[in-house]
Amino acid sequence: MNMQDKNFAGMATNYGDLLGNGLTLKQFRDGIIERTEATGHYNGLEKLAFRDSDPIGYEKLFSKLRGGLVHARETAKKIAASPIVEQEGELCFTLYNAVGDCVLTSTGIIIHVGTMGAAIKYMIENNWEGNPGINPGDMFTNNDCAIGNVHPCDIATIVPIFWEGKLIGWVGGVTHVIDTGAVTPGSMSTGQVQRFGDGYMITCRKTGVNDTPLRDWLHESQRSVRTPKYWILDERTRIAGCHMIRDLVEEVIRADGLEAYEKFAYEVIEEGRRGLISRIKAMTLPGKYRKVSFVDVPYKHPDVQVSSAFAKLDSIMHSPCEMTIRGDGSWKLDFEGASRWGWHTFNAHQVAFTSGIWVMMCQTLVPTQRINDGAYLATDFHLPKGAWCNPDDRRTGHAYAWHFLVSGWAALWRGLGQAYFSRGYLEEVNAGNANTSNWLQGGGINQEGEIHAVNSFEASSCGTGACAVKDGLNHAAAIWNPEGDMGDIEIWEMAEPLLYLGRNVKANSGGYGKYRGGCGFETLRMVWNAQDWTMFFMGNGFMNSDWGMMGGYPSATGYRFEAHKTGLKERIAIGDSLPLGADLDPTHPDYERHIDATAHVKRDKQCITTEDCYENHDLYLNYLRGGPGFGDPLDREPKAIEDDLNQKFLLPDYAGKVYGAIFTIDAKGVFTVDAAKTQARRAEIRNERVARAVPTREWMKEERQRILDKHASVQVRHMFATSFGLSEKFKSDFKSFWDLPVDWDLREEELGVPSYGSKHRMDLSLLPDVHTVVQVEE
Amino acid sequence: METHTNSVQVMGIDAGGTMTDTFFVRADGRFVVGKAQSNPADESLAIYNSSVDALAHWSRGVDDVYPELVTCVYSGTAMLNRILMRKGLRVGLICNRGFEQIHSMGRALQSYLGYALEDRIHLNTHRYDEPLVPVSRTRGVTERTDVQGKVVIPLREDEVRQATRELLEEGAQAIVICLLQSHKNETSEQQARDIAKAELAKLGVEIPVFASVDYYPSRKESHRMNTTILEAYGAEPSRQTLKLVNDRFKKHGAKFDLRVMATHGGTISWKAKELARTIVSGPIGGVIGSKLLGEALGDENIACSDIGGTSFDVALITKGSFAIKSDPDMARLVLSLPLVAMDSVGAGAGSFVRLDPYSKSIKLGPDSAGYRVGTCWPDSGLDTVTVSDCHVVLGYLNPDNFLGGAIKLDVERARQHIKAQIADPLGLSVEDAAAGVIELLDLTLSEYLRANISAKGYNPAEFTCFSYGGAGPVHTYGYTEGVGFKDVVVPAWAAGFSAFGCACADFEYRYDKSVDLGVAQFASDDQKAAACKTLQEAWAELALKVIDEFVINGFKPEDVMLIPGYKMQYMGQLNDLEIVSPVTSAQTAADWDQIVEAFENTYGRVYASSARSPELGFSITGAILRGTVATQKPVLPEDPDAGPTPPAEAKLGARPFYRHKKWVDATLWKMEALKAGNHIVGPSIIESDATTFVVPDGFETTIDKHRLFHLKEVK
Repeated sequence: MNMQDKNFAGMATNYGDLLGNGLTLKQFRDGIIERTEATGHYNGLEKLAFRDSDPIGYEKLFSKLRGGLVHARETAKKIAASPIVEQEGELCFTLYNAVGDCVLTSTGIIIHVGTMGAAIKYMIENNWEGNPGINPGDMFTNNDCAIGNVHPCDIATIVPIFWEGKLIGWVGGVTHVIDTGAVTPGSMSTGQVQRFGDGYMITCRKTGVNDTPLRDWLHESQRSVRTPKYWILDERTRIAGCHMIRDLVEEVIRADGLEAYEKFAYEVIEEGRRGLISRIKAMTLPGKYRKVSFVDVPYKHPDVQVSSAFAKLDSIMHSPCEMTIRGDGSWKLDFEGASRWGWHTFNAHQVAFTSGIWVMMCQTLVPTQRINDGAYLATDFHLPKGAWCNPDDRRTGHAYAWHFLVSGWAALWRGLGQAYFSRGYLEEVNAGNANTSNWLQGGGINQEGEIHAVNSFEASSCGTGACAVKDGLNHAAAIWNPEGDMGDIEIWEMAEPLLYLGRNVKANSGGYGKYRGGCGFETLRMVWNAQDWTMFFMGNGFMNSDWGMMGGYPSATGYRFEAHKTGLKERIAIGDSLPLGADLDPTHPDYERHIDATAHVKRDKQCITTEDCYENHDLYLNYLRGGPGFGDPLDREPKAIEDDLNQKFLLPDYAGKVYGAIFTIDAKGVFTVDAAKTQARRAEIRNERVARAVPTREWMKEERQRILDKHASVQVRHMFATSFGLSEKFKSDFKSFWDLPVDWDLREEELGVPSYGSKHRMDLSLLPDVHTVVQVEE
Repeated sequence: METHTNSVQVMGIDAGGTMTDTFFVRADGRFVVGKAQSNPADESLAIYNSSVDALAHWSRGVDDVYPELVTCVYSGTAMLNRILMRKGLRVGLICNRGFEQIHSMGRALQSYLGYALEDRIHLNTHRYDEPLVPVSRTRGVTERTDVQGKVVIPLREDEVRQATRELLEEGAQAIVICLLQSHKNETSEQQARDIAKAELAKLGVEIPVFASVDYYPSRKESHRMNTTILEAYGAEPSRQTLKLVNDRFKKHGAKFDLRVMATHGGTISWKAKELARTIVSGPIGGVIGSKLLGEALGDENIACSDIGGTSFDVALITKGSFAIKSDPDMARLVLSLPLVAMDSVGAGAGSFVRLDPYSKSIKLGPDSAGYRVGTCWPDSGLDTVTVSDCHVVLGYLNPDNFLGGAIKLDVERARQHIKAQIADPLGLSVEDAAAGVIELLDLTLSEYLRANISAKGYNPAEFTCFSYGGAGPVHTYGYTEGVGFKDVVVPAWAAGFSAFGCACADFEYRYDKSVDLGVAQFASDDQKAAACKTLQEAWAELALKVIDEFVINGFKPEDVMLIPGYKMQYMGQLNDLEIVSPVTSAQTAADWDQIVEAFENTYGRVYASSARSPELGFSITGAILRGTVATQKPVLPEDPDAGPTPPAEAKLGARPFYRHKKWVDATLWKMEALKAGNHIVGPSIIESDATTFVVPDGFETTIDKHRLFHLKEVK
């Protein structure tokens, strides 16, 4: 009997017995949820029978499986052609039990602990076992952001694992592809404002049988994206890794028996749940921690060219966050008051949030290999339905969900930092993290004459947040990848028809403080050997999307620099001066002195743009952000300021203005900070501060009046209006805090800006025959 | 004549951080090992002292033996330490203008290189090391060459002159030049090099100039720049060290020319141009020694496993050759050196054992007690349990004969620590907890070994496992059990195996060159032949460099055996595979087909045949040429078969030994007293001063005529 017959027979008769226990997958999953809810322990496992009776045997199983996952990732990634996967390590393999709960995950983008699990759960809830059937040798592909994927460019291959005809688990592999065939090129493009422009969208589709991808899938998928060569090798990377891990699980079962494996696959999740709780207990101080973050979405600017008039709106995304740490080590993360989703690509599914958050947590709270769905189970999430992080409309775009996830989580990171600080773990504190941008993206015809898309991942090496005992690290990591790396120029030049004209630390980009944030860096590119080439920018520009701590400054915001009709071809030919190296002081621009005076330069805060044309010899500055600072800058060691000046990490003006440093500079340009004079100047600054200060009550009075007068920019009013629209609670808390009259209100319709979608929305769950999976309190 | 048959022919040196080992081999295969305290100020003295110590076993002296030696190979950590301690020359760097900070920025991954997995994700542990060259001694010159090798912005020559002068003013003792994409087109960089040299000559200053293309012309500028800087920074001072060593040899009548173990697995002269390749050499020795033993035993597939106090190193020899990694990292720097591929896991005999306070799981390492052994040594100052503590408690190690009795171990002290830290919290007896730790470590090692073999597309049944290193033989049974190796071999000289291995290395130079050859799957014969022509030209160019090196050492070009190889990938991929060429010269379309076939076979084995992607076409990214000349290798002992029964004097008694939840009496044997052919059944422990070989119940071992133990599972 071949596969297809078996499949057919399954559909006709007892497809429900995949598990060999008479239960359908859904019945089995419901049982687990029920037992978990009834006892507070995963699957009702109040005792870890296997681990407690045989701790060594349990550890051995752990070590085998975990080692295998890491190894499969290391081996498989070498197949890929995309520097995103191969150089940046943007791939991850995860092992799930039969109901799609994560058992263990490899290193890499740990965000996918739960995203592929959400896809498996979706298949379970929507009876995939009945149709299209789940058989040994099948492969399923998913990138659907409406059911839990972060953004469409994370493509997942999911393979069921069987033992003697019984489904015992799943393995998923995900890679971040370079292009998804969205409206504009690049993996996280900006030109679209809805799901329908987000690119090729695949919902848990069966794309392979008998371990072989189906031909219709190969043909369709490869022509649906701009970069088929990368696509092909990325898929082979995922498949090879999944199969290695499936082999490993089979080997483990042969050696240790199915019973031990199955016990392990459930106990380890309960262990993960307990692990997080004991970390929280050990590292933090119970209480409520409130933080907030914002980011700008400047879509009104003419350089953002979108197809829908209602999306032409400057808005602000809002993420208030209340972290409640309870005495027993459990905690709740509450985002009540978050602003509504919008007509852009920065929306995030609830699972992107609840799953992705672990890639940040494991850099600080839980730096352990033992991350799985247990951590999620130990956390109560409250994400209001309709918010940017839990949309209630099936049209939302998600291509760059990270635009605000990074800031939303950086606020949490600050909250944790404060909790560590309170408990005395100063070394663990970070004053938040960088907004990981700019994203250099674009496409056209590359140096090989092929249709191409580019997506630089230099953003994986932004500055990190300052610690409470040391500076942040320069150009080092991303909130979504602690193992950041900017990669070699010579590799990026293979992937991008953009000649580097500089790569330098970005001065002043780290937030000032007693300990400054890590600086970001910048690379200047000249379009070279391309045809019909386009590029665009994406990042924060008008707003600090991250704040410092304890008096530390936020990191610098972004800006864009691009130049057209530069005359560089001629300048090179005649040996004239050229724009090379850093854009050291954007207030006193220097690049412009080394290109033709008639060049068309865009130098502004508009850091989100859509596809625009670039000719060879045009310029593009890729500026990767720094991290926020910790502590009062007036407490910074004069020697540290001197070092920063001499290494061009800090501009002299700001050494004086912010740090109160008094310094000299010699003929060779070497700075020396005078400690005594600096101390005196700092005393003056402190006095000036006192002179400027007003009592809080006074200040609040003024602010309250401004609120009553609605004296705020329309973007701010719009942001609050969408938050109020979703949450009566948030509005009433706001009103009682500011002691506002009962009838005070702020509504979108009074603002005179497009409010399309503010009233009429339709969730995915309202489609016929669709059962969505809800994993948070809404 | 006695002196003729028993002349001492080969000497190997392993100059480590604390001890300097020497290894002498006679014409009849007998060997002695000498040890002396290392002397960083004058390594030659430590080598001399160690030689005296070794030769005393034969009642001979240095002035007597050195003149007899045919060959001598040095390996040591001098170069590595110089880098780690940042004690090198004041190097000046010339790079492209606009990129003056790239070396000091480093690659972000250098902030967590060498970290254990959990620290790699733990952000606040990351840190950068001091750059080898500060920005203040870096100058940029206007120039850019593109990825295809086209000069986009021609070099502005005056800037090179000025940069050279400024670097001199900054006190540069050497100048490194590394321009972007110079591996693709060396013109600009060579031009800069010549101008810098001319400027120095004009100023009457003699300092060396290192252009990256003359040394390591491979893609990835951070690797190439680091390696060239390393050459300038550390190699010249190291050459002075080696000259001192060589001078002392000569003073005592030596006639051989000192050779140095290099990263590519061959040895090179201390006069060689590229001494940065000697940055790591000790661990490679074991791989080379295994290869030689494998040849003697007729094994062409060998899993080399070396377990010391802090790490477990694995390397594979397949079909008689070891793999080479071309962009390794060392001393927390990414480099472009061909390095014998070794994978390490940070767990060894001295690793600390702790319970994770959050999950109660047992954690091994990554830090280790090093020379302080464990809590079983009262003077260690330690109170954290180590793997050695577990061994002592379970009767694996002799508390009275550790390092030949140099230190006495306190079993009870270790017991108490294990009880409090591990056993009680887990609800286990001390023995079961200690045994659990050992089992877990052994499992980690065996899984690692197994994964490394399967990742290369092989099955352990095709492999013989060699186990060495000071702590190797204690763990051999544990990490080979159930893996299914064809044979498991423990050399009697496991503790001095690296020094032995260095003495086994070929006199071999290896040069690499980046090439960019792309050929479609169904290319025409002309296209294939054209690709062959380019490859052949690269080989010819490398052949000149290889032969030049040998000529410096007095060889004739015809003495040199040349072995061509290449690096290949499917077009567009970023990782290539290194292949020994199936053809000695590439000319025709048929040659190309063979080149492709060899690649595809390897690829299918390493990844999966489903991952083959011939439809993308093939590209060759690098040409490789190795050249060797014949050298004297150590001769293996050939002992007469003394039958299975060990001599009575070899038996030392018995010691209680715990494994599989019970105590048994293990027979103790003196390793040196065992004879070829002797057969020993577990539970037994075979002891020598430097190592302990554990043969538990369910295992047996036989010693062969070369003094190699073969360990077998008996079921």
